Amino acid sequence: MARLHVEGWAPEYGASVEPEDALSPAEGSVDVDVEDRPWEPIAGRDDDVPLVAFVDGVRRIDARLLLDDPSGPVPGICGSFAAGAVVWDRRERRSEVTVRHIERMAVLGDGHAPDMPPLPEWLAYSSSSVADDDPASLIRAFHDAMRRAEAVIAEELADAGHFVVADGPLYEYTRNDKMGYVKSHRRSYLPDTTIVGLLPGAHRTPLFTIGEGRFRRYSWYVRLVDRGADHSWAGIVRCEASGALDKASVVTIADRSAAVLPLLASQPHLDPRAPQNLVPIAALERDLRHRLGDAGLVLRALRTALAGGAA
Amino acid sequence: MSVGRVLGSQHTNTREFRVVIGDEQYLQLDDLVVVRTAVPGAGEVATYGIVTEAEAVYEGASFESDTFRIADEGTMPGGKVRSAQVAVTRVDPELWVSPDPGGLVSRATGEARDKALYIDEMGRPLPVGLGRDGLPVYVDLDFFDGRKGGHMSISGISGVATKTSFALFFLRMLTGRRDIVGEAGKNLRVLVFNVKGEDLLWLDKPNRDFSPAAAEAWAVLGVEPEAFPSVSLWAPPRPRSGDVLVPDIAGRQDVEVFAWTPREFVDEGLLRFLFTDASDARNQISFVAERVESQLRRFAVDVAGVPGAIVLRDPGEGHGPGALVKPNPGERVITDLNGFAAALEEFLDPVDGEPDPRWTGRVQGGTVSAFMRRLHAAVVRVGYLIQPGESRRIDRARAQITVVGIQSLHELGQRFVVGALLAEAFAEKEGSGQRFPLSVVVLDELNKYAPRDGQSPIKDMLIDIAQRGRSLGVLLVGAQQTASRVAPEVLENAALRVTGRLDAAEAERSEYGWMLPSTRARARLLKPGTMVISQPSIPVPLVVDFPFPPWATRKEEVADEGDDVFKGL
Repeated sequence: MARLHVEGWAPEYGASVEPEDALSPAEGSVDVDVEDRPWEPIAGRDDDVPLVAFVDGVRRIDARLLLDDPSGPVPGICGSFAAGAVVWDRRERRSEVTVRHIERMAVLGDGHAPDMPPLPEWLAYSSSSVADDDPASLIRAFHDAMRRAEAVIAEELADAGHFVVADGPLYEYTRNDKMGYVKSHRRSYLPDTTIVGLLPGAHRTPLFTIGEGRFRRYSWYVRLVDRGADHSWAGIVRCEASGALDKASVVTIADRSAAVLPLLASQPHLDPRAPQNLVPIAALERDLRHRLGDAGLVLRALRTALAGGAA
Repeated sequence: MSVGRVLGSQHTNTREFRVVIGDEQYLQLDDLVVVRTAVPGAGEVATYGIVTEAEAVYEGASFESDTFRIADEGTMPGGKVRSAQVAVTRVDPELWVSPDPGGLVSRATGEARDKALYIDEMGRPLPVGLGRDGLPVYVDLDFFDGRKGGHMSISGISGVATKTSFALFFLRMLTGRRDIVGEAGKNLRVLVFNVKGEDLLWLDKPNRDFSPAAAEAWAVLGVEPEAFPSVSLWAPPRPRSGDVLVPDIAGRQDVEVFAWTPREFVDEGLLRFLFTDASDARNQISFVAERVESQLRRFAVDVAGVPGAIVLRDPGEGHGPGALVKPNPGERVITDLNGFAAALEEFLDPVDGEPDPRWTGRVQGGTVSAFMRRLHAAVVRVGYLIQPGESRRIDRARAQITVVGIQSLHELGQRFVVGALLAEAFAEKEGSGQRFPLSVVVLDELNKYAPRDGQSPIKDMLIDIAQRGRSLGVLLVGAQQTASRVAPEVLENAALRVTGRLDAAEAERSEYGWMLPSTRARARLLKPGTMVISQPSIPVPLVVDFPFPPWATRKEEVADEGDDVFKGL
């Protein structure tokens, strides 16, 4: 029988694949003619939304696996991810991590489902597989699972009356009070980016839409802090709202985001991803990463289990 | 009911551990806790401890400004976590293992409290104050009365450390709890020196400010809140008061005058207590004093018709012990210190002729002159303590507590009286060789009498008491502002160590090594009425409160005659 091994190399080595968040599926045409107003910076407007939920997830490759199959080596990974939410109660002036969802996955390539040996209760891995043997697909499958978990949390909170700020592009294009929050910019969606450089702090661009049909969504840029002498994309984030929403709701969300998000911008001396990495999201990531458990401990437990399972 | 769990993110050890406190609970300083640990192969071990510090922090805040994000803006999630540091007092059974992380921590009450404070192991637990929980804290009397240890040393800043008040409170416990003190309390005699003000001259008078709240505390301690029942008060005569001896006390009339007759002065060898300055020992004056003292003993003869007075005659003339002579015409009759000075001058430093080597011991002329100069100075300062007539010695047997007021005396006189009385008390016990009845001496400003540096007859005496007094039943309750200025031999022999508020610099000295770092830090902030007590049977110092005294400590506090301060209690 084929034996499952933990690779001797530390999990950090090997193919490092960052799934492309900034480029969402089915990119299509960009329509800048959405709002009936001049193409100029728009000041944010705070509508005092009482409950804001920030949804995010963190993941970690716990170990690289190798299935010693007669047909040849089959790569695999063991990974843990945590998705969760911070709810900011603006009336009570307090934040709390309200949701934490932790999952561990073992993924093998070539359609092999790993047969995980018995593990401690706190370290239960679910098995899954991908069809090809590209290490990047393994990670993509794992990453997608995390995004799905985040989306479930986002939908639940939005349906329960929170204004949800989900880290990364939107996953579900449903009709509720929710926006995606994209920190990095691999490309610009605007035909003319002059307006981005002109945005003062706490201002947004007018809305534009990206994609078509069921992937159509609204988007806009917000500057979190005045750029000073910095480059024109400093302190800029791109936001998304579902295309299923009516335009008036999206305008409310967009105005609100330009007023509220700057309140949460992090400071460069405290956060290496300032100002885009919002304070509640940074805290949430810290909390979730902590909940993944100690990396060394997990790796050791896996090694012990897999070595023992073969004996 | 648990208050929290042993912190798991830090090592626990056998000396201390930290408790993370539950949301609905709290722990404050000095609270007693217990945690039970299952030890593989050995069964359950209970670890008892005392809270030495309480702390709280926002978990999740990594920068100081995160505090505002969490508490003010509420933009960052953060949880308040409260914890308490616990110093281990006892492990029972004695299996020295650390408590398990995550172990349930409970308050130690009832039997567990007794165990935490070793009360179950004390032969004779004497209450010495109230803990933070309002219940008595005990010392093992065996460590005071000489069975296993003796003496008490009290340190602290003047005024706020309430050293004397605590000493008296302790005496009241000692005299009021005969049920615990037992045989040692029989005929117990206490000698108290009043060195400042007239604070201790009202011990037998009820305090008009005594409150019902204080009475409750006394009830917990098991002693009737009453003034000391058996007190005798003594004071030196007022200087230049003529033949009528009037006590040198402003506030009170019913005080006995004490003085020594020239005969007693010679017999008890009190001369050396006139030369107690540290510099005296250095320049051989004490050698002359010793010489003169022994010569006086040989030469002194009682005078018929003048009780207590003496004349000095060469023993070669053949007078026996107890002889009474009529003074020859022109012969000097010594009735006071001035008489001594004049008589000694004839032997030591005659105006015409050579000094008598039998008296000077062939020391240099300058030393003899220095001796005489100091003697003359003593005549002015303490001369009136030597009086002819009937004996006016302090009778320590008259009452349980003997208070000697020396506050009005010059420093030289204070040292003289303290030295003379200590010598008397010690000699008495040395003679009998019996530990009982116990003799307790309360002496404030010990640094004056037994300073760290230098030599003096009183310091020698105090060191002797500290080292041997325990077995002879002479127990010293010494108080000082700064222990670092007191002879280490005296401090080291005190089994019970107590401090009130300490000066910050003083608290860091090695003399207070018995305190935990946290207790030292707190010692700077202790309020009057709160003391830290260390005793050999408990490895950590305890903080106790002692209640307001039912006796007056100032004239204004004395309740009027017929004023029932205890009514309604």
